[in-house]
Amino acid sequence: MEELKYITIFGFFHSLTYLVFSLGFSLVFGVARLPNLSYGALYVFTGYVTYTLLSQMGLDVILAIAASILLTAAISLLIGEFAIKPAIKFPVSVFITTMAVAYIFEEYFRIQMGLRPVTLPLYPGTTVLIDVPVSNHWFLVGIISSIMILALLLFLFKTNTGRAVRAVAENWEESMRLGINPLRVLRTTFIISGVYAALTGILLTPLKALTPSGGWTPLFTAFAVVVMGGIGNVLGTVAASFIYGFTEQLIIYTLGGGIARVVPLILIVLVLIIRPHGLFGRGE
Amino acid sequence: MVEVSKLVFAKPSKVSKVRKILPFLTVVSIYLTLPAIGLRGFWIDVLTRVNIFLLITLSLDLYSGTTFYLNLGVPFTVGVSAYTLALLNRYLGVPVEYSILPSAITSTIFSFTIFIPSLRVRGAYFSILSLLLPIILAGLVTSQPFSLYLGGEGGISYFPLFFSYARALPAGERVFFLQASHFYLSAAVAIVAYIICYKIAYSDFGFMMRSIGQDELLAEATGINTFRVKLIGFIASSFLSALAGALYAAMRPPITADIFVPANTLVPPLTAVILGGMGTIVGPAIANYLTLIIYEILWGVLGSWRIILYMCLLIVLVLLRPQGLIYYLYLKMKQVFSVRIFKHLGGV
Amino acid sequence: MDKILICDSITKRFGGLIAVSRVSVEVSRGELLGLIGPNGSGKTTLINLISGVLEPDEGRVLFEGRDITKLKPHARVALGISRIFQGMRVYPYLPVYYNIELSARSVFKDARLARSKTIWALTTTKLLAESAELPVNLTPYKLKMVELARALVTNPKLVLLDEPFAGLSPEEVGEVIKIVRKLNESGIAFIIVEHKLRYLMKLVERVVVLNEGRKIFDGSPSEAMNSEEVSRVYLGVM
Repeated sequence: MEELKYITIFGFFHSLTYLVFSLGFSLVFGVARLPNLSYGALYVFTGYVTYTLLSQMGLDVILAIAASILLTAAISLLIGEFAIKPAIKFPVSVFITTMAVAYIFEEYFRIQMGLRPVTLPLYPGTTVLIDVPVSNHWFLVGIISSIMILALLLFLFKTNTGRAVRAVAENWEESMRLGINPLRVLRTTFIISGVYAALTGILLTPLKALTPSGGWTPLFTAFAVVVMGGIGNVLGTVAASFIYGFTEQLIIYTLGGGIARVVPLILIVLVLIIRPHGLFGRGE
Repeated sequence: MVEVSKLVFAKPSKVSKVRKILPFLTVVSIYLTLPAIGLRGFWIDVLTRVNIFLLITLSLDLYSGTTFYLNLGVPFTVGVSAYTLALLNRYLGVPVEYSILPSAITSTIFSFTIFIPSLRVRGAYFSILSLLLPIILAGLVTSQPFSLYLGGEGGISYFPLFFSYARALPAGERVFFLQASHFYLSAAVAIVAYIICYKIAYSDFGFMMRSIGQDELLAEATGINTFRVKLIGFIASSFLSALAGALYAAMRPPITADIFVPANTLVPPLTAVILGGMGTIVGPAIANYLTLIIYEILWGVLGSWRIILYMCLLIVLVLLRPQGLIYYLYLKMKQVFSVRIFKHLGGV
Repeated sequence: MDKILICDSITKRFGGLIAVSRVSVEVSRGELLGLIGPNGSGKTTLINLISGVLEPDEGRVLFEGRDITKLKPHARVALGISRIFQGMRVYPYLPVYYNIELSARSVFKDARLARSKTIWALTTTKLLAESAELPVNLTPYKLKMVELARALVTNPKLVLLDEPFAGLSPEEVGEVIKIVRKLNESGIAFIIVEHKLRYLMKLVERVVVLNEGRKIFDGSPSEAMNSEEVSRVYLGVM
């Protein structure tokens, strides 16, 4: 019973962060139809940049965060423009380029920062929620995540650019006939996905220590969520990340953290067996 | 028929066939005499390693190079096979000489069981699933409770292949005996694997795999059972990787989670495949020796930076000449194909 | 009359959109059937449903009395349904010969038989001289011939042609028609989707008209020309 409380509370918070992270990934995946394998590296990149700015250059917190978000968005745009866009006609090359970028970051941080885990300052204080002590940082994470999710949903469903993004994700050729430039839409999604990766990086690094190879697990989580929700299906992604978050916490509290690494793998394989186009996908 | 008679060229005679494989034979025989004419120490070890990696390169090229389904999970197949061999030795006491094939088969079965669902669907699923597997497994091997049984960070240690024979020799000859026997075994396997891969890649089955790479929907709609072709191709390719893993583990104890790290077991073969020209078998095989020997040399000069260098090389290769790569592929194919087609027409 | 293909009120939805709604079509052995309708009327979806690229949400597809609704495209090819895609769809980096032989090889397990069928298909479509060429070096007409040869090589009883005349000159269209007629005389049935009604109406024996996913007409070409509903759908195109 005690565990159920933990699972509910932390499952909820984790689901929110997974949702934010997956939305950024799913935008590019939905529009380009190809995954950005360096998306996890962006998460790590933000963490290390913020760490460097804060503890080594002694910048103000807000300033450091703003600077690292901008920098990550810029890097995301660069990756998109130089590693994804030129290769989009030949999917194999997108896998190779984005994977290579991810490993370049990983090796670079391994050389420069070493293998010792790095962390960022936590938002101070603890609140007791139904007998469970929860760090105030989780509430901060919850609030900012919710704002970001709402902002993205508003953007996608209420603005013209957002509608264009959805149209391209739905059907690339058809959207071109409607006068939308898919490549410009793609550029927008690179920037947005950079911002979302950066924000999750800054929010989660204080809670989970950062290592050079720490980007893969979030990437796989995002992929599992997007596959479950159906590629390019925003509402499916929302539902899938909650399923994922609660399942993962359930397994951590019942079977232990080691085995929880396999969760994304099992979920992806299960979804591929049962419903290859996502639990909420519409098929081809 | 006038058109046919215009096309039917003289069948390649026996002499020209021998002449065709003469360069291959020469290179192979010179290569095989290297240890006899004085190659010792570090370099013979490097060449053994490169021989084993040829299997991985061929495996990548045979499946990913033809179907364009990028298999980033090569370290998984290699690693599972290596760990199977090590575990068989540790828990059942099976000498590594006897467990190479069983380990390779076990790992192949593992791989295709996990990948079957993703082979059924088109698109990015296969590649991402394959990317995820080795990283998850590397994490598992070093984390509780699995690390207790799998040796954790230190890995699993055992006697290398042919050690029981080496023990009978005088102390001064043991090292060279092990090195030379490993070199010749790996070279023999590599040569056989190369010939088989070449035959498969340019057989009707190889062309079916290519058709999937070029237009999978079309292949399916014009009668090719794409799932079956992908499955068989994948099994063949996995077996090569698995064999490489088992051989590597047998010759290079102890085995650690490093084998799952893509920088060790994926980056050099992938670079070789891209550099050599996807699906051509010949190109990647040559590139395999180039990239891996340079990778070894750079280890002393650049350390971990060599991984970054190879990654940059990969990006530049893929990006600056995407058409160039395909064009290269096309030129290569045109020569090879025309010979084969005329042979076919002549046979009717 | 001997029905080779029966589509029994099949429906296909994409999300909220109904692409094909309760359409029933029957094709007799050796018949030439035209399938027409304005853009987005569900013609290509219907072809996809018959060839197996899509699976219907409702209804059944019967081929020679056998239920093939759940069959994969490649299995339908083996039974005798071939298709040609809209546009020029060939393997860009395989020579003409292999473009055709691969289909033969996947249906006939005997390599010699597959080879001789390929040669026959190349001869029928007058492609022998180009058999070693890559598709990039061919004219649109020759590419169409490659696709036709590929459809023929698997011994089809029914061939689905999706816009076979698009991008061809009048003389080339005439050539295609000649080949289709010749094959039809040997007993192969055709379903032809085409916008160039001038040529189509002279070729086919019967037309089915689709509009917004519904079948609105089924009869001879001359009746179709005079049908009020058909001309209303086409808004004076004819």
